[in-house]
This record gives sequence, C-alpha cells and structure tokens, in this order.
Amino acid sequence: MPGVKLSNGVVINFDGSARTLLDALERKQLEVNFHCREGYCGACRCKLVSGEVSYINEPLAFVRKGEFLPCCSVPVTDIEIEIP
Amino acid sequence: MAYTTFNRQINDQMKEPMFFGNPVNVSRYDQQKYGIFEKLIEKQLSFFWRPEEVDVSKDRIDYQNLPDHEKHIFISNLKYQTLLDSVQGRSPNVAFLPIVSLPELETWIETWAFSETIHSRSYTHIVRNISAEPHKVFDDIMLNEKILERAEDVTRYYDDLIDGINLYQRCGEGTHSINGETHSISLYELKRRLYLCVMSVNVLEAIRFYVSFACSFAFAERELMEGNAKIIRLIARDEALHLTGTQHMLNIMAAGDDDADMAKIAKECEEEAYAIFRKAAEQEKDWAEYLFKDGSMIGLNKDILCQYVEYITNSRMQAVGMKAIFSTTQNPIPWINTWLVSDNVQVAPQEAEISSYLVGQIDNEVDGGDFGDFDL
Repeated sequence: MPGVKLSNGVVINFDGSARTLLDALERKQLEVNFHCREGYCGACRCKLVSGEVSYINEPLAFVRKGEFLPCCSVPVTDIEIEIP
Repeated sequence: MAYTTFNRQINDQMKEPMFFGNPVNVSRYDQQKYGIFEKLIEKQLSFFWRPEEVDVSKDRIDYQNLPDHEKHIFISNLKYQTLLDSVQGRSPNVAFLPIVSLPELETWIETWAFSETIHSRSYTHIVRNISAEPHKVFDDIMLNEKILERAEDVTRYYDDLIDGINLYQRCGEGTHSINGETHSISLYELKRRLYLCVMSVNVLEAIRFYVSFACSFAFAERELMEGNAKIIRLIARDEALHLTGTQHMLNIMAAGDDDADMAKIAKECEEEAYAIFRKAAEQEKDWAEYLFKDGSMIGLNKDILCQYVEYITNSRMQAVGMKAIFSTTQNPIPWINTWLVSDNVQVAPQEAEISSYLVGQIDNEVDGGDFGDFDL
C-alpha cells in the first residue's frame, strides 16, 4: 500500500479504495484545484518530489518533469508531493 | 517562401519544425512528429455537440424575470463571448495555416477553429431564445466601448502576424517599397510575432472566458438560465482542450528542440509575455466592475470575481513555466469546479453519456464461443 507524503508531513495511505490520487486527496478534505478530472486540462497539476506514479489514462495536458496530474494517476511507489 | 496549397517539394515531414518550414503537402497521420496534436484532434471530435440539442426554452422565462442589473450581467457576457469566438473562429486558420509545416498540427488548428464556430452559433441560439429582438444584442457588440476595448488587445497580435506573413510570402525578407510606403520584415521578426500571438491566444482562452463562465454558473446554481449553463459547460470543456493545445505549442517553442530561434525568442519576449497576462487580468477585472456597476448577483460580486481572475491567471502562468504575479492562492469560488468537470456534461437530460463516448464503437471481435448457448 503506497504512502502519499504531503509537504506538511502528513502521510495518506493509498489503499485502493480511491480510483485516483485526486479522489484520495479529496477524501482527506485536501483542496486541490481541478476542472476536467480526465487529464486534458491540467488544472490539478501538482509537484512530484519523489517516487513514481502511473497514469490510468495518458494525460493530454502538458506535464513537466517533476510534475504529475493527480486526476488520472495512482502511485506505484511511496510518493512525496506538493499541492500548489 | 510563397505559400502553396500543395507543396511539390518532397520533404521529410518528421524533420520539419511546427512553423515556417515547408508548407504541408500530404495530410498524413501515419507518422507524427508531435503525437499530442493528433490526440487533441481525437478528443475534440469526441466532444462534438450542436447548440440545437440543448433546450433553452425555459431560459426565456427566467430571463424575463431577472432584475435589470442581472439582465445586464447576463447579456453583456454573451456579447463579450460572441466577440471572442468571432475572433477565434477565424483567426487561427488565417494566421497559422499559411505558416504551419506539420500535418497533425495543421489539422489540429482547423479542428480547433471549427469548434469555435459552434460556439458562435450557440450564442445566436441562446439570444434568439431569450430575446424577441436578437438583432439589438448583436448590433450592440460593434458599438459597445467596453467590448471594443478588449477587441483591440484580443486581435492585435493576430493582425501583426498576418500582416507580416502577407509581406514575407509576397516579397520575402528585407525592406520593400509598396504603394510608396516602406515595409521591413525578417523571418526572425515573424517568428517573434508568432510567439507573441500564440501567447496572446493562450491568455485569451485561459483567462478571458472565465469571468463570463463564472456568472453563467452562478445563475445556474440558483436554477436560473440552466439551458445557457449547459451550453457554457460544453464551451468550457472545448476551451480547456484548446488551452492545452496552445500550452503545448508554447512549451515546445520554449524548449528549442523544434526551432532554436523560438527558444531564443521565448526568452527575449519574457517581459512582454508577463505584460500580456497582466493586461488581460486587469481588463477582465475592469470587465467585472462593468458587469456589476448596477448591482451584484447572488453568490458573486466584483471582489470575488477579481480574486478569481487573479487565481486563474496565476495558475495559467505556471502552466507555461512562468511565475505567479498575484498573491491570491485560494480559489474564492471552488463551486465552479464541479461545473467544469468533463463527465458531468450532459447534452440532453435523457442522455447522460460520458464525454469520450464515440459513435459506432462496436466490438467487432466475435468468436464461435459467443454462440455457445444459441439455438435455432
């Protein structure tokens, strides 16, 4: 069960009950910007400080190195992220 | 140099830059330098919708019952959006098609502009339904100073680019005397105009629509003008995709692998790019003030809307590798996001289908086992 570490030190366990990282973050009442929730608008862009995510569907939005879209991804390893 | 509709030069399209290489000859998609544009085309096609599919008849009653200051908010936004999509329905074609060099990008530009023409037609659909005198609404666009002020900044970069391309494709680089006037153009200057134009289009689609979107959704939160909101959701979905398209173009340009000049230009134009964002944000804040000059609407006022403009401006700037210019870090109207979720978009109430739904998607793989329990 990969852990998702936030910049404030809080760790969330991604236990598979949420479909995506965005869903998992929202269940913990964390506010992440979003629009399309499908990977084509890029509104939910977050920083991936360490670890690896995999995409449920390949994002169309431009994603820089060190960034990821939580709306269409799940963690593969423990990850550390920053929500803007 | 001169444009030709079917370039006879045999070229390797995979080695062409996005713009200012050879004009495209064969529209082929079996090989793609930038596969993302093909994916954007497919997504845009899967989004296809027609304004007539959305019933706006209840909006007529709602509109008649709105107080005058809310009528002003509603109709002014429609006029402004009409202007924006009038420009966007034609300008990408006129400005970018004569200089594009990749077939997938050429087709993306055409697909993009075509979807803007659907938006334009949808405004007529809405206005016809809510007003007995639609001509008065459209006639005012060309007379409304507040709208014309914005038109100047929306069109200036397109016009500069188109003017430069005309000169370059007719006369080539250098200084030319035309009808007694002297004009100079260089390829480098044209590339600079292209970069600024794409940046300005990016700003248009990233910020300029959103004040209007927020008002439409604020009406619909009160169960007013819901047909309109349904159309605006479809438009917002398209615009988010177009924005992704221009963000990709800007990021490819800035990286420099496609055309080393463009990376240099992106650096040189950095200050101007910041100025374009800042000016658009200021203009949209002015627009919010104009909208609410006679009174606010429930759920929205000038200050909240201005904060929202600052918030999305920051986020759009960061998407193209720029720094945020406003101190706002929180979305003051988080409820707007649920209106912008793609899969909640419904065309007709009875058709709750997902946005990526494709017509005619049938499973063609059938084997003998599928007939196992089938008796004649």
